Amino acid sequence: MSSDNKKWFSLNLNRKKKESSGTCGCGKTSGGCGSYSEHPQMTDEEFAEAAINASIGEERTKDGFDQVFDVKMDRRSAFKKLTASLLIGAGAVSTSCSVISGDESKEKAQIDWEEQFKGNYKLMDDDEKKGTVERLMRSYELRTGKNISMSSKNAEDDVLFGYAFNISKCQGYMDCVNACVEENNQDRNSQMQYIRIHEMKDGKGFNFNEADDNYYHEVPAEGHFYMGTQCFHCDNPPCVEVCPVQATWREDDGLVVVDYDWCVGCRYCMAACPYDGRRFNWSKPEVPETEINKNQHYLGNRMRKKGVVEKCTFCVQRSRAGKNPACVEACPTGARIFGNLLDPNSTIRWVLENKKVFRLKEDLGTEPKFWYFMD
Amino acid sequence: MMNRKNYIYILCCTCLFVLFSCRHGEGEYHGVTDRIEAESKNYHGTSISSEKYLEGIKTIEITEGEHTFLIPERKNQITSYACTECHSKPLTQMQGKDAKNAHWDIKLVHANKNTMNCITCHNPDNMDNLTSLTGNNIDFNNSYNLCNQCHTKQFKDWKGGAHGKRLAGWAPPRASMTCVNCHNPHKPHFESKWPERFNTETVKERE
Ligand code: SF4
Ligand code: SF4
Repeated sequence: MSSDNKKWFSLNLNRKKKESSGTCGCGKTSGGCGSYSEHPQMTDEEFAEAAINASIGEERTKDGFDQVFDVKMDRRSAFKKLTASLLIGAGAVSTSCSVISGDESKEKAQIDWEEQFKGNYKLMDDDEKKGTVERLMRSYELRTGKNISMSSKNAEDDVLFGYAFNISKCQGYMDCVNACVEENNQDRNSQMQYIRIHEMKDGKGFNFNEADDNYYHEVPAEGHFYMGTQCFHCDNPPCVEVCPVQATWREDDGLVVVDYDWCVGCRYCMAACPYDGRRFNWSKPEVPETEINKNQHYLGNRMRKKGVVEKCTFCVQRSRAGKNPACVEACPTGARIFGNLLDPNSTIRWVLENKKVFRLKEDLGTEPKFWYFMD
Repeated sequence: MMNRKNYIYILCCTCLFVLFSCRHGEGEYHGVTDRIEAESKNYHGTSISSEKYLEGIKTIEITEGEHTFLIPERKNQITSYACTECHSKPLTQMQGKDAKNAHWDIKLVHANKNTMNCITCHNPDNMDNLTSLTGNNIDFNNSYNLCNQCHTKQFKDWKGGAHGKRLAGWAPPRASMTCVNCHNPHKPHFESKWPERFNTETVKERE
């Protein structure tokens, strides 16, 4: 990782960088930038720890939501924080001039710092993506002693993902929902499921107001049919349009994704989605350590925090590797079909061309890439 | 002189305007179907493959109409194939009090008795193969050819990929499960059962 060409500022606590003493990072040869000389009695290590604690100490243990709403800040503490962050900046500059040997807590602080100030994933180049993914993996290892694998695989050329759902086949078994929850490390307590299965009365059309979304009886029930909804990965997604910080966007292979670290939790996108495709983390999502799916993608099933929005990603960690999404694989009736819309020989294309397909609320112009059909 | 300058200026502006007004946002296409049509014209294939997910699964390649794809080998999945390892004598001699019980768990729940019985699909004189309605041999590996004698609509959808499930991922090569991987041929319907879990309780947010 080079520190020369980054969109965020690095502390470089562990980097051994030799520079002529007397010149600090800011380029001045005397006084000006440094408060380093004011703390001659502290070791570099202590200083770094103290400075980080002073400025972002509390935030390190809090998730995004707490950070925003749990701040008790009067003018004095605001000033204190401001001074502290100036100190930390100065400290970083001066520590980069000196040589310290690595140690775990410092590495953790370094990672937290870089993660805190990293940019939007959407704007990162490949090296930066790799960097953040490596930091997240390392940070997980430091915190839990266990390894995860996280991918930052980009969209492939000549791929546009699409989905088809066979209404006559779905029996309401809910295997797909189970598979989705497990695959995507969803919170086990909240009703976070990306997929909803609606039980509808025959002969009433798609009447979502009268559909039973909470059924629990033997299925299929006489005189009913079942249909699933989830994020439809619209080609013209209104949820992307409204995001004030561009934390959600459409990738080149058509997946609509969220950068959980950039999302500010305003929930505009939830209001904009006409399909109820998005879910909000009202509480801190928790998954038992043994059940965590360790095959992760930055834009997919990596661990989320409280106060951010998430949704179906067509299992980006699976689909970009050539697998079917977990729901497709789990469905015992074959009601779910997934594939590459740009491949003229793909099965999804055959379905679109040979079955009578339709989409929900087509008149809105959202162009969902999720079609329904019947036998 | 001034006039000419103005004229050129206006011309340039018009050109630029025309250029930009043709592109509205994402919308080089008027819908996703247009996008698919346009972008798949020069489709070159992808580097993504599901070959590695097929490792360890024995498959055979079949060609039906314009579709060529893989299906799992069947014979090695049937316990104690070949059938003639047991069926060495004619059936009449194998039935009776002192004969060993076999196939006691098979009960035919498929169509009605007038339409189907054992010998609709099995040939008592040639146990190692299935038999078509007209008495031709059908290999156990290609058992879909037995089913498609009646279930023509399902067969058509299966060939195209609208019926049934994929064996590996979505990526090529295509490998699809065959009829008997999901349906028990002696009892092909899906049982009703309890759902795997509670369905979502939608949070009532706006009340
Ligand atoms: S279904 Fe909703 S969340 Fe998904 S892309 Fe469309 S508007 Fe966005
Ligand atoms: S909740 Fe997050 S993703 Fe949605 S609009 Fe707000 S910042 Fe963007």
